[in-house]
Amino acid sequence: MMKRTPLLLMSTALAGLAGAAQATEELNALVWCDHTDPALIEPFEAKFDVKVNLREYEGTGAALALLEQSRPGDWDVLVVDGIDVFRAVEAGILAPLPAADLPEADFFPEVVMEANNTVDGTPYAVTEKFGYNTISYNADKVDAADMQDLGKVWSDKYSGKISIYDYYLPVIGLAAMADGIKTTDITAADLPALGETLGKMRSAAASVAGVVAAQTALATGEVDIVVGGGEWLTAVLEGEQPNLTWTIPDQGAVMWSQSIGVLADSEQPDLALEFVKYIVSPEGQARLATSSCFWGMPANKLAGDHLTPDQKETLRWDSQPEYLAKAQLYPAPDADLDIEMQDLWLETLQQ
Amino acid sequence: MTLSRDTLRGWGFAAPALLWTLAFFVVPFVVMGAMSLATMEGRTLIWGLHLDNYAALAQKKYLWRAIIVSLEITLTVTVVSVLLAYPLAWIIAFRVPKRWQRLVLLLSILPFWTSYVVRSYAWLLVLAREGVVNKAMIWLGMIAEPVTLANTRFATVTGFVHFFVMLLVLTIYANLIQLPPNYRRAAMDLGASAFQTFRHVILPLTLPGIMTGAFLTFVLCIGDYITPQILGGNTELTVPQVIMVQLGRRADFPLAAALALVLMGIVTLAYLAFARWLRLDRI
Amino acid sequence: MRVLSVAYLIAAFVFIYLPVGALVLFSFQSGSLPVPPFDGPSLQWYAAILSDGDLMRALLHSLLVALCSSAVAVSLGFGAAYGLARHALPGSALVRGLLIAPMTVSYLIIGLGLLIVVQRLGLGLSLVTAGVGHVVINLPLCFAIIYASMGAQQQNAERAARDLGADEARVVLLITVPMLMPAIAAAFFLSVTLSWDEFIISFLLTRFDVTLPVEIWSMLRSGLSPELNAIGSLVFLVSVAIVVLLETTLLKGRK
Repeated sequence: MMKRTPLLLMSTALAGLAGAAQATEELNALVWCDHTDPALIEPFEAKFDVKVNLREYEGTGAALALLEQSRPGDWDVLVVDGIDVFRAVEAGILAPLPAADLPEADFFPEVVMEANNTVDGTPYAVTEKFGYNTISYNADKVDAADMQDLGKVWSDKYSGKISIYDYYLPVIGLAAMADGIKTTDITAADLPALGETLGKMRSAAASVAGVVAAQTALATGEVDIVVGGGEWLTAVLEGEQPNLTWTIPDQGAVMWSQSIGVLADSEQPDLALEFVKYIVSPEGQARLATSSCFWGMPANKLAGDHLTPDQKETLRWDSQPEYLAKAQLYPAPDADLDIEMQDLWLETLQQ
Repeated sequence: MTLSRDTLRGWGFAAPALLWTLAFFVVPFVVMGAMSLATMEGRTLIWGLHLDNYAALAQKKYLWRAIIVSLEITLTVTVVSVLLAYPLAWIIAFRVPKRWQRLVLLLSILPFWTSYVVRSYAWLLVLAREGVVNKAMIWLGMIAEPVTLANTRFATVTGFVHFFVMLLVLTIYANLIQLPPNYRRAAMDLGASAFQTFRHVILPLTLPGIMTGAFLTFVLCIGDYITPQILGGNTELTVPQVIMVQLGRRADFPLAAALALVLMGIVTLAYLAFARWLRLDRI
Repeated sequence: MRVLSVAYLIAAFVFIYLPVGALVLFSFQSGSLPVPPFDGPSLQWYAAILSDGDLMRALLHSLLVALCSSAVAVSLGFGAAYGLARHALPGSALVRGLLIAPMTVSYLIIGLGLLIVVQRLGLGLSLVTAGVGHVVINLPLCFAIIYASMGAQQQNAERAARDLGADEARVVLLITVPMLMPAIAAAFFLSVTLSWDEFIISFLLTRFDVTLPVEIWSMLRSGLSPELNAIGSLVFLVSVAIVVLLETTLLKGRK
């Protein structure tokens, strides 16, 4: 008896907890980590008296597989790489969005990206945030002029003082730019040459790092350069260590963008749409831009009214026209090329 | 044949555990076996008897390289951990006064109760260029400039060894104190040197404990994702890391399942190698 | 104690406490980066984690999963140990082998197998699925610990009770369980410890409600912060308090 009673009590407690969670309305969103900041989510939860359940994911392929296997109603909102929206649409996962509800007229025109978000004239997603995968560096330790040339960044001069951001697409994009290939034109035939550039990059690198590892490495002086970094990496460090900064080299940088959409299987499409509208509203955009996980430029220009001058300075608000002109899009491989790129990436790591 | 009441009753007690193990361990294992023979076409899973995933192991360098990296790290960790833990357990068992033993033992495994994830991350801070290890080595004059320790295989091994030394001190100590003190005395009386006593009396008697601990170290180390992922700098990937990449970026369950079974095969080989000393149902 | 022994003991303790020391020290950092130089002390990061709803919920989830899954694992493990030790069962060596088998399999593999099955069956992931996985890994330990402590001593007492007319249930609950309490408590405590800190199974088998290690992992993936140090230190201090409490009260007198 002694043993069973606590067990019984605990299962009751667990059931009670589950019950309590189901009491209010819930919205289930599959997102990137910047959406998990309470400062972003709580105002929406309060306004609509809803609990927003968030789950982070790593790669689009895995997210799509998860969504295809889930039951109707499991998920309501998806945040996805801008370049992958079409894959989600092809898989029949996203529902059309009413264009009239989207404030795209207030967006930076370069990031509306109809080509990404619209299929056959129907919008399925909307850009919410963007930024650059470029070069972050420690201005006290490296020559800023060298950072303007990708070839010099991973030259012998900085060998062992480099960390590479651990995501294959932007880094392959940067390698392509260094080789003079446009990111949108990468084909399977380019991969051997790109592999060599990646190999050079990798042999100069002390580590290949995720967000925190790269931040730690920069902040502790482990490395002086992060290839693939950018405002999203160094913005949170700048306050303490202003010498940690970033630039866009002459060859350009890879522009990342994330889009948000409503799932076709959602059982509360209206609430899901409200969430999307909140995220692209000026207030939502300002909170998303400065979210605790990573910073990035808001797609909606009106978010500027809700950001402090310091925040805008960190985001390099005023330099955006110049940066956007220099940036190239994320490589957008089809399924086969994508697998080849991932294999190339893993081969590079394991060399 | 009719079963006796006694046998039936015995099964009645054992059945829940047995059914649980069958349903949540054996069945998933079989399904995983079937999964490893499936293949992916785009994101569509195709069941069947495909050997693509096992062929990929032979063809893709990064996959078999991962197996080698895993083996190298695990063997290093197992050997180093045993070599460091044995003297510690020895000192606690035979040099520390009896009434302090429990306290010293408890103190030596206390960090076991820091969160596993956080502990790995803490090593990142310790091994940083500005970290305490570099500072200490410079102060001692061992090096002139800070050296890179974090984000290397050294860091992974250090993080692992830290954890397993704690585990092994416990198992080896438990073994040492069970030795009848007379054995040591008898050996000494018969004129054996301290080393000879150790070599011919104590070591053979404590070998089963060491081997059980070493085997647990091997199993836990080779299957761990956190430590190499946080400390290793991703410049080389272990099998669990490659499995997690397959799951996280591609949802390629068949390849992940095949890799998991390969890992399982390695552990089975290790089990056979350790088998003569193991008493897993008596730990 | 000889000099060499003392030196080794000190060196070993420095090694063992190095990461814990760094962790705790930088949890009092006053700047927002937990990297040298130390510029504290400050308690702001403790305040931050205590007011972090997600983190505190995850802590509660971990506690629930650990206690529930350990209770199940101990109950099942005790049943199996009793059945196998007290009743002559055909094929009992095989059964023992099967029950111990999960101990030789990596957590990642157990988690992956369960994940595949749960997905194929179209069931949802939750704390319950993570708990099921934790029972799988803890059942062998509970079984082994309790089975090893079942000796002739209890058997005589059980026989005596049976001769006096007690039925099987009474024998088990009034004789066997109390006599084996130290082993049962040790098994339960070990299970709770392992489940509480288990990462990979919880990571693969949960969805929105996550356990503490999974929440810490996502914090770790999303930005460098002394909050990580603070939660790590807090968990450490609380666990140590519990361990010391158990050591000085409950487990006192056990060998």
